[in-house]
Amino acid sequence: MWVLCVLVFLAIAYSLVTNPRYEWDVVAEYFTAETVIDGVLLTIMLTFVTMFLGTVLGILIAVLRSSPVMPVRVLAGSYISFFRGTPVLVQLIFWFNVAALYPDISIGIPFTDIGSEVDVNALMTPIVAATVGLTLNQAAYMAEIVRGGFNSVPKGQLESADALGMSEWTKLRKVIIPQSMPTVIPATGNQLIGQFKETSLVSVLGVADLLQSVQLIYSRTYETIPLLIVAALWYLLMTLALGYPQSLIEKHYSKGTRAGTPVPLDPALAGAEEGR
Amino acid sequence: MNEPATRQQPTSEPSQVATADGHGTVYGRQLVKSFGHRTVLQDVDLDIESGEICCLIGPSGSGKSTLLRCVNGLEKVDSGILRVNGEDLGYEETDTQYRPLSKKQVAAQRTQIGMVFQHFNLFPNMTALNNVMSGLVLVKRVRKQAAAEQARSLLAQVGLDGHENHYPSALSGGQQQRVAIARALAMDPSVMLFDEPTSALDPELVGEVLGVMQQLAEKGMTMLVATHEMGFAREVADSLMFMCAGRTVEYGDAREVLSNPREQRTQQFLEKVL
Repeated sequence: MWVLCVLVFLAIAYSLVTNPRYEWDVVAEYFTAETVIDGVLLTIMLTFVTMFLGTVLGILIAVLRSSPVMPVRVLAGSYISFFRGTPVLVQLIFWFNVAALYPDISIGIPFTDIGSEVDVNALMTPIVAATVGLTLNQAAYMAEIVRGGFNSVPKGQLESADALGMSEWTKLRKVIIPQSMPTVIPATGNQLIGQFKETSLVSVLGVADLLQSVQLIYSRTYETIPLLIVAALWYLLMTLALGYPQSLIEKHYSKGTRAGTPVPLDPALAGAEEGR
Repeated sequence: MNEPATRQQPTSEPSQVATADGHGTVYGRQLVKSFGHRTVLQDVDLDIESGEICCLIGPSGSGKSTLLRCVNGLEKVDSGILRVNGEDLGYEETDTQYRPLSKKQVAAQRTQIGMVFQHFNLFPNMTALNNVMSGLVLVKRVRKQAAAEQARSLLAQVGLDGHENHYPSALSGGQQQRVAIARALAMDPSVMLFDEPTSALDPELVGEVLGVMQQLAEKGMTMLVATHEMGFAREVADSLMFMCAGRTVEYGDAREVLSNPREQRTQQFLEKVL
């Protein structure tokens, strides 16, 4: 088995090095080109902004989803089904063209002259459409993750908090959220990594993200493969860089829940504890 | 099923119960509770004086736990009168009506009632000390330092000095349950409820928890204990209620009920467990 793996690995490496059509010099040349770096920065920004807004909105929807009022639950549920059930690409193009549906939005107090009208076509620039589309989609996924986290807290914990007379807010902050973190954090980390890659879809709207930047270059120079390698390497680098902080956060929130966590055990007492 | 508790005129008890003087008492009349079509409590009466130890015994599913959970408001009774510490639990009587208390007011009533669960329910993300401090800091807004001091002495009282910084996962069941008792005591309750506190423990750990409970009883705490520990009931309890299928079968002096049960069902049950 080992030998086979090594052979496959060597074959790939050999091809990578000897096939001149990879054009590694071109890869190196464009790796830090200004337009590529600008694209990387835009991709990072878009990822974090939509992830942040999506998470905030997602938590809100998760709370509404477990509301005691039935219509509120249904509304939140429909939101989640709709945004999870349609392709992100379709959603992005939809938001870009939403002006066809609602040409103007007027903000103001009804039946008065106070307020202003907004031209949706001018407002929905590619970057705005990209942000709105990715945020709304992300919110639907985050809502399900957060709800799953809340549901993972044992009922006895809530009763314990109630029996101590904790307010709903204290209970949420000190009991429910910390205990749902071990399930929410890894899933959120995966969402973040997914979102990094998903932002590449916005290139269809003409947003100058990483993919769009390399596309602009290779449409001029026809060095398609080397530039796609540049983009792939950047995506890989960014997602790998996220893995480390994620593992740190996971470790922090699994405090006291698993064996082998840093529990300050008195060595003299440690022996006695094992005997349970 | 969840209509507000209807006011029923008690048959024998004084209609006006002083609110100030009921400290440490539990008073229930014709308590009824059902989940859907299943009635879990049917006309249960309860009279517990300050400092009294009352044990609830009976087969599983007889309504012991539900009764306890009603006494601290985790479950709402469908009808009947329930007063803890002399106050109507979860309701407020005004001149014209009988209306539910706000969540905040219910929470305030609960701080007076300590609850110990079968499965301990310690907060796994907090150390033993922080568990005991949680009510003081998060509910009573006591300063952290003062709370920690109080929590330390409570942990020492249940025999757990030196375990302050252990997380629940590093403690045995018996130790966890003693932390849970300390956590409930930290709120300085006037009534303590125990829901089968030793049922989830290994047999050799039962004693340490019962020991702590006995100490508490000697200090004059009002205690309502659902248990299968007949030895504890015989030694410590003042009164005893035998429940079956949501009804009170026999209720009276603990030693009397245990040694001379009048009802046949009580006799059968005791023969099996003793």
